[in-house]
Amino acid sequence: MQNAKDSFYMALRTRLAALNPDRTVLLRGTVRPGILVEEAEAPFSQPPNDVFMLRWLGLGVDLDLSSTMAADECEVLYQTAGTQSFGGLDRGRALSGMDEELVVMLQPLFTPKMNYTPTPPAVMLTHVFWSEPAFTPTVTQRDLLSRSAKVTVYSYQEQGE
Amino acid sequence: MATTWFSAPAPVAHRVRAYFAPVNRAAQTPVLFDPAEQGTFNLDAPPFPWISLGWIDSFSRKAMSKTAPVLSGIPAVTLEQVRETLEAQVTLQFLSWTKLTMALATGAQHMNVLVPASGAAAAADGARAVPAVTVESGSTATSIALAATDAATFSPGSIVALDVDYTGQTGFVGSPVSGAYVRQALSDVDYIRRVTFNVALVSGVTSAGLTLVEPLPGGAPAAGSKLQAVTGFVDREGGTFYQEWSALFVMQGSQGERISFYYPRLQPMASAQEAAAPLSGKNPGGQTRLLLKGQFLALPVTDPLDGERLLCYRSFVPAANALV
Repeated sequence: MQNAKDSFYMALRTRLAALNPDRTVLLRGTVRPGILVEEAEAPFSQPPNDVFMLRWLGLGVDLDLSSTMAADECEVLYQTAGTQSFGGLDRGRALSGMDEELVVMLQPLFTPKMNYTPTPPAVMLTHVFWSEPAFTPTVTQRDLLSRSAKVTVYSYQEQGE
Repeated sequence: MATTWFSAPAPVAHRVRAYFAPVNRAAQTPVLFDPAEQGTFNLDAPPFPWISLGWIDSFSRKAMSKTAPVLSGIPAVTLEQVRETLEAQVTLQFLSWTKLTMALATGAQHMNVLVPASGAAAAADGARAVPAVTVESGSTATSIALAATDAATFSPGSIVALDVDYTGQTGFVGSPVSGAYVRQALSDVDYIRRVTFNVALVSGVTSAGLTLVEPLPGGAPAAGSKLQAVTGFVDREGGTFYQEWSALFVMQGSQGERISFYYPRLQPMASAQEAAAPLSGKNPGGQTRLLLKGQFLALPVTDPLDGERLLCYRSFVPAANALV
């Protein structure tokens, strides 16, 4: 299941880098595309603004199929206070921009399953696929606007996993 | 040694895509779909002459063929069975209203409403139209050559219909897609342009002619074609004409596998109907999306491979590396 989670993250990260190269985050001294996996970073006292953060939630498995299917629930969280040059008055537009980026990043709703443990990564035999996003209402907290979207990420377990 | 295969469960598909192509009514020839040569075509660029109608909803196919046992002995036991009737139906809902989806969801002729001539008497199919302009040679499926004075009467955003004048012919009319069957001579010179499927949206106008957003369904205009502006479409409850199209429905699985249902001959079997789908599940009494309902009867063809009569072909392209 880790391969599916890694593949999903890397697909979104690659798509974001192509879609909006200016959305970046400085993490551990490295500038990266502005998307991260919460459980793979040091705990945040507060999530960074203008960055997509993946949080893995529930898990379900269907053992009755010819290949076991795993269903990982993923919440994509993001928040923004707008830009300093507009005094934060553009925070609504900034959030809409992130909404649109997420919708585009999630399409198509599949990606090849990869094993990122070896170098270079190995292409596996199946595809990871996911549901359409379910967005939550906007949350306003002082000057911050935040939102999340949930998708269910499906994958088939391959031999050796 | 690394495993090079996996056991694929039943396909998981998101939606169904529909493609239609016109049956040559005069020659009674459906359009072929070859799973060997076309089985993995780009879903956004179907092979000619298939026309993509996009995603469809509530796709359902129902086999209604009947078999009967051949009984023998006392007490009688089934010795073998025979196929008594061959019948299949397809139902679906189109997610958009276009010339083609409206026509397919209509039991009879589907007409273009032509821009009326000044002072013309009212008519339920649209009043007498502004005279058509002549399409000049050198036109293609996306570029229509016109005289400069004729081109100036159109503007980007216009909808246009192209076909030949009606000159009293009977039989199937409309080129190359038959839009109607004329049983007795009519008097409207624009009749063929009223029923033609050669309809498109204009994206640009120059002194040399018109540029179209999408290619004409029938390809480059036939010799002698003329062009008229269209304001909309109209169809009728009743009539004797049945549209007939070849149809292809494609389901793309999550692992790259593909299921295709190819119906060589489909005819609408119900009059125009709409389905109302609420935009919000939380407010079923609120705004609704109106979907065109299509219900089709599959007609038989004879497979030249073995002479069998049949209604539909189902083909499957397995996922890469999947056990078969």
